Amino acid sequence: MNAILAIAFKDLRLLLRDKADLFWVLGFPILIAFFFGSIGGGGGKRAVMPVAIVDQDRTPYSQAIVKQLMSSDALRAQEAPLDSARLLVRRGDLVGYVALLPGTGESFGFGGDSTSGIEIGVDPRRTAEREYLRGLVTAAIFQSMRGSFAAGGGGRDMVQRSLEKLRNNPTVDPDLRGRQSNLLQSLDRFMSALDSSSTAAVAGTATGDSAGGGAGGPNLRVVEIAEADTGPRTAYEVTFPSSVAWALIGVCMSFAVSIVYERITGTFLRLRLAPISRAQVLAGKGLAAFLASLVAVSLVLLLGITLFQIRVPNPLLLTVAIASSAFCFTGVMMVVATLGKTPASVAGAGWAIMMVMSMTGGGMVPLIAMPEWMQRISNFSLVKYAVLSIEGAVWRGFGWNEMLPVLSVLLISGFAGVAIGTRVLESRDH
Amino acid sequence: MRRIALARALRLGAYSPPMNAIEVVGLRKSYGTLTAVDDLSFTVAQGETFGLLGPNGAGKTTTIGMIVGALSPDAGKVTVDGESDPTRPAIRLRIGVAPQALALYQDLTAEENLAFFGSLYGLSGARLAERVQWALDFSGLADRKRDRVSGYSGGMQRRLNLVCGLLHDPPVILLDEPTVGVDPQSRNAIFDSIERLKREGRTILYTTHYMEEAERLCDRVAIMDHGKILAIDSVEALLRAHGGPPTVEIEFPERPASLDALGGSWEGLRWRVQSERPVEILQQAMGAGRPFSHVSIERSTLEDVFLRLTGRLLRD
Repeated sequence: MNAILAIAFKDLRLLLRDKADLFWVLGFPILIAFFFGSIGGGGGKRAVMPVAIVDQDRTPYSQAIVKQLMSSDALRAQEAPLDSARLLVRRGDLVGYVALLPGTGESFGFGGDSTSGIEIGVDPRRTAEREYLRGLVTAAIFQSMRGSFAAGGGGRDMVQRSLEKLRNNPTVDPDLRGRQSNLLQSLDRFMSALDSSSTAAVAGTATGDSAGGGAGGPNLRVVEIAEADTGPRTAYEVTFPSSVAWALIGVCMSFAVSIVYERITGTFLRLRLAPISRAQVLAGKGLAAFLASLVAVSLVLLLGITLFQIRVPNPLLLTVAIASSAFCFTGVMMVVATLGKTPASVAGAGWAIMMVMSMTGGGMVPLIAMPEWMQRISNFSLVKYAVLSIEGAVWRGFGWNEMLPVLSVLLISGFAGVAIGTRVLESRDH
Repeated sequence: MRRIALARALRLGAYSPPMNAIEVVGLRKSYGTLTAVDDLSFTVAQGETFGLLGPNGAGKTTTIGMIVGALSPDAGKVTVDGESDPTRPAIRLRIGVAPQALALYQDLTAEENLAFFGSLYGLSGARLAERVQWALDFSGLADRKRDRVSGYSGGMQRRLNLVCGLLHDPPVILLDEPTVGVDPQSRNAIFDSIERLKREGRTILYTTHYMEEAERLCDRVAIMDHGKILAIDSVEALLRAHGGPPTVEIEFPERPASLDALGGSWEGLRWRVQSERPVEILQQAMGAGRPFSHVSIERSTLEDVFLRLTGRLLRD
């Protein structure tokens, strides 16, 4: 085992020292993913959040909030009924929804209980979007309040009604009642002294209250709506799994050529003259290719996950998919190494096969975008199963049952490749 | 440790090494219609330095390949240290090989190459570090140990190629053309290293197409051509048997007619004659009454032996 590890680590060290190889293994797949992801519009998605606005209050105040949200540059808002909004969020079509429940206008969005106020529905994993949306809604509330007060639109009456309602509601927590009462009384005093010229001061005061947070702020409730993960959310969720194919191909070709190169330079002879078996020598080579594939694919996906918010609903499934793909292409590497007797002939034959497998398997044209006839052809490409396994673990929402056939193809192909490659390479040594 | 254990076993009489470290009997190997090695038989005694001398394509490297088990012979038998299967790990631990092709990783340093190859022979930890340092000192590469091999001169790479096969301290060493393509300084350094290994009592099988190397280093030499051994003996015996008598060469300002009776051949004013008694020839030439502008007595070489045996020069 020590000899196998020594051979594997030697090969990995050589890979790290060869900048050209390293580019094809890591740099090229990342460039491909980034380039096609950008073309696919993946880069601009996070700037504007698609959300639904639900106005069940239908008061001038709630409509003012809706207007504020609809005009926000940060949102692509559409009005929808609550059920539809929840469905769209669950399907991943929208980042979230903002529901102005009945009574929002009465309480300015501050008071009320769990059946009133403002509800924000968002996927629990989208923590950044949730907080961003909460901030936008809070800003819209204060903007609407300011507008309402500044326009002399009966703001003091609304405050008085809200205070009255708060006093008469026995279900409100006394502590909460005290804080909200203080806030509304402050508002009342403020509005009584308000002149239309002091709107800036209003905004400052209101924001200050909001910043206080807690029960003194708007009554915003976040409802978690888990997305069903039934499609790629961004172009990067398509391009990064596809780029995995290039990482696997890069490692495969690099090691296949290195085996032939070693044979012609004599280092392979020295390996074979050592007191270890031929199987150990080839196992060391295979282990190096497997580890390199594992690391390359993991790094590519890690980049996608950290920089482009690629979802990983089931990390274990993704890990198994990566390992199976790496093993499959280790087998492919062993077969490719038998395709010629010089590095040039192996590289030529290997790349020709890899290009066809990549073209038909989703390395160039994403599987999701392929016409049906091409998808049928792709069944013969091992690249397809590697990409499909990663996509399955990323955005296709595969469970173990759906993943099992894909993993089986990868593992069986890997075993077959290792067996055939080892046998042919060993026979050549005689 | 193994050498100490071996020495102790020898003292106790528990281990008696075979007389011959290497025995090759009727070895044959063909590639299609080309017979690379044809019915080869020879032995190399323990502690002996044995040379396979022949031109390129004579079958030397194929022979080495079969001795170490890298190639399967079509016929014949190889025995190393009494074992007929050289692929057994126990035998491979007793054999060190420096292949003709530079078997080094160009993108690794000398130290990394040595550590890697040492680890394949089961060396690790302090023992590995000790052997790597020994190899660096032995090859004179200690001050360049952290440089990548790709930056080494041809001679430095040859020296490293040699010591990579010696890391595990093997008693039997096979050197396949270890001085090909090196400068005279590195060649001398390699000769010094091999002579040191000889003094340590190791068995060395040395292939070369340079007759000077065979004459300087080898106790016995087998002359090979077209896969066959043409002659096998000590250098002196080969010279006596096949090299012919020494050659006397004299250059005169003008040609004396009195020497024609002694035979020989003339190239302009230069007279060459072979004789078992060169001093007598010289005396007779002096008696011709002509001054010499040049005189030399050359003994025959292995080149002459090869020429006589094959009708061709070694470098052809």
